[in-house]
Amino acid sequence: MPNILVCFKWVLDEQDIKVRPADLSLDSSRAKGKISDFDRNAIEAAVGLVEAQGGRVDALTFGGPSVKNALKDVLSRGADRVLWIADPLAETADAFVTAHVLAAAIRQHGPYDLVLCGEGSSDAFNQQLPVRLAALLDQPCLSFAQTLELQGDRARATRKLGDSVEEAEAGLPAVASVLGEMNKPRIPTLKQVLGAAKKPQIEVPLAALGLEAGLLRPRSTRLGVRGFVMNRRNIIFKEPDAAANVARLAASLASEGLC
Amino acid sequence: MAGIFVYSEDAALAGQLLTPALELKRALGQPVAVLAPDPASAAALAALGPDRVLVLEGASGSPEALAPALAALLAQEEAQVVLVGATLRGKHLAAHVAAVLGAGLASDARALAPAEGGLGVQRILYGGLAVSDEVLAFPAVATIQAGTSPAPAPSAAEVAIEPVQVQADARIRVHRVEKAAAGGVDIAASRRLVAVGRGFRTREDLDLASSLAGALHADLACTRGIAEDEHWLPIERYIGISGRTVKPDLYVAAGLSGQVQHMVGCRESRVIVAVNSDERAPIFEAADYGIVGDLYQVLPLLTAALAK
Ligand SMILES: Cc1cc2nc3c(=O)[nH]c(=O)nc-3n(C[C@H](O)[C@H](O)[C@H](O)COP(=O)(O)OP(=O)(O)OC[C@H]3O[C@@H](n4cnc5c(N)ncnc54)[C@H](O)[C@@H]3O)c2cc1C
Ligand SMILES: Nc1ncnc2c1ncn2[C@@H]1O[C@H](COP(=O)(O)O)[C@@H](O)[C@H]1O
Repeated sequence: MPNILVCFKWVLDEQDIKVRPADLSLDSSRAKGKISDFDRNAIEAAVGLVEAQGGRVDALTFGGPSVKNALKDVLSRGADRVLWIADPLAETADAFVTAHVLAAAIRQHGPYDLVLCGEGSSDAFNQQLPVRLAALLDQPCLSFAQTLELQGDRARATRKLGDSVEEAEAGLPAVASVLGEMNKPRIPTLKQVLGAAKKPQIEVPLAALGLEAGLLRPRSTRLGVRGFVMNRRNIIFKEPDAAANVARLAASLASEGLC
Repeated sequence: MAGIFVYSEDAALAGQLLTPALELKRALGQPVAVLAPDPASAAALAALGPDRVLVLEGASGSPEALAPALAALLAQEEAQVVLVGATLRGKHLAAHVAAVLGAGLASDARALAPAEGGLGVQRILYGGLAVSDEVLAFPAVATIQAGTSPAPAPSAAEVAIEPVQVQADARIRVHRVEKAAAGGVDIAASRRLVAVGRGFRTREDLDLASSLAGALHADLACTRGIAEDEHWLPIERYIGISGRTVKPDLYVAAGLSGQVQHMVGCRESRVIVAVNSDERAPIFEAADYGIVGDLYQVLPLLTAALAK
């Protein structure tokens, strides 16, 4: 029966982040955390596979001190255990560092038959961690999977790659990245939320992974972040009379030379 | 040894990558080499000013299957900069190469320029809410979207084409590849677009948008859900961080909420128009003109008004 690991990232909800118009800095003071959107699909995929054919699901995350807030959520969604690495280093870690940290945790706590990731994280959207992880673990990667099945010691996926769709298969152990369209993540029931409190939360100290300093040094350094502000005219027609609104819009388009 | 390397399975995109590569060459003083997937694209790319063209031989299969072989080649060449076309297959390949080289990788990078200690890039964060300036230490890998720069002008210099033998990764077995039927319209070139979202209840209802598009001489575009979940429009019609980026004169957004992950792909349009029944939908902040109303009522009226 498969032993599955899902890697998930705890990110700020971008809908709560405001841009300060004066200096374009970001105001995250009201932003809540969330499990990165497509990672919820990856969790759902793992739980669905195990419900269908047995096995178990671990979840793994590397983040700053706030990742603790993710643990109950991920367990409510059906993971059997969560492994968490909380370290301030995560704030400046790039995909190079994150991949080494996650790979080391997998070597220490695995082996896993299948490692699932989201197609891209909601904040960085690097779309690279699953492939990096597979390369470090020397496993094949079924990236951008729309469907995923386990058949004995093999994984089979429908990969969606922009201009083509492909049926592909790899021997286990393997890594896969899950598209947001693979499934609809469940909303945990009260029973699942209560049950989550009893499940193991295993803290993995970064130092315990035995990574040499060079592997914890980011190759990519962030110099600065600027918010994007929409500078639009915001002329909104909202009379009860739809025809009047349409006439005004048509006149506006004409004044723009667009009709 | 060393050098700036360029790869894309899409020869037109590979040509475009030569523009930032040749700019970096001026600053870094390193030769530019193209890795070409086949002899025909090798010949075409050789005319665009690289110092070397390496044509990959012995490899059938997808670009990702070549990743281990290309990573080994790039490590041996001590590549300092690797630029890869940001298709999904290219992103997979680039991530594998970056892992093997122990390098940083900027996805969908823009504004590449030499910076202190490495390669400066810009990229998007939080789905489009922000832009970040980053520096990648050498060796550095970046993926670049189609349309980020034009291809360089042809150069008269003669370049020898060097064959290199590569072997595909056999661990992934591909049973079947289906090329999506090309929709015929390249929406990146459309001057006017009518974009639809989940406010449309059925596929047939898209006729309302088609009629409006007809009256405006526009093409249809959509949100991710309309293409990827509903399959009502082809994948190449969806706009956003994981879809296409467009810059038309007119972008009419009907029945779509205007989340940042979508708007990042169209926010440089000249005029943005919104039709949405929810006055608080974020699309109105992003619009020049908007109508708060039911698209099922507004679109036919607007089509009729424009047809006059
Ligand atoms: C990492 C990541 C990447 C993503 N990438 C993309 C991307 O590239 N492209 C993309 O599009 N999305 C992307 N998304 C999804 C994005 O966040 C939004 O969820 C999506 O764009 C919403 O699609 P929508 O506007 O069609 O649907 P909804 O958000 O459901 O909006 C429907 C709108 O229709 C309006 N409406 C309903 N009925 C009517 C009516 N009768 N008349 C008028 N208006 C009506 C509603 O008020 C609502 O505003 C991404 C998400 C993530 C997390
Ligand atoms: N810090 C992290 N901890 C655990 N998993 C991560 C982390 N960062 C990225 N991932 C996984 O890698 C996927 C792709 O992330 P990215 O390459 O950042 O777009 C995410 O959807 C997660 O599954």
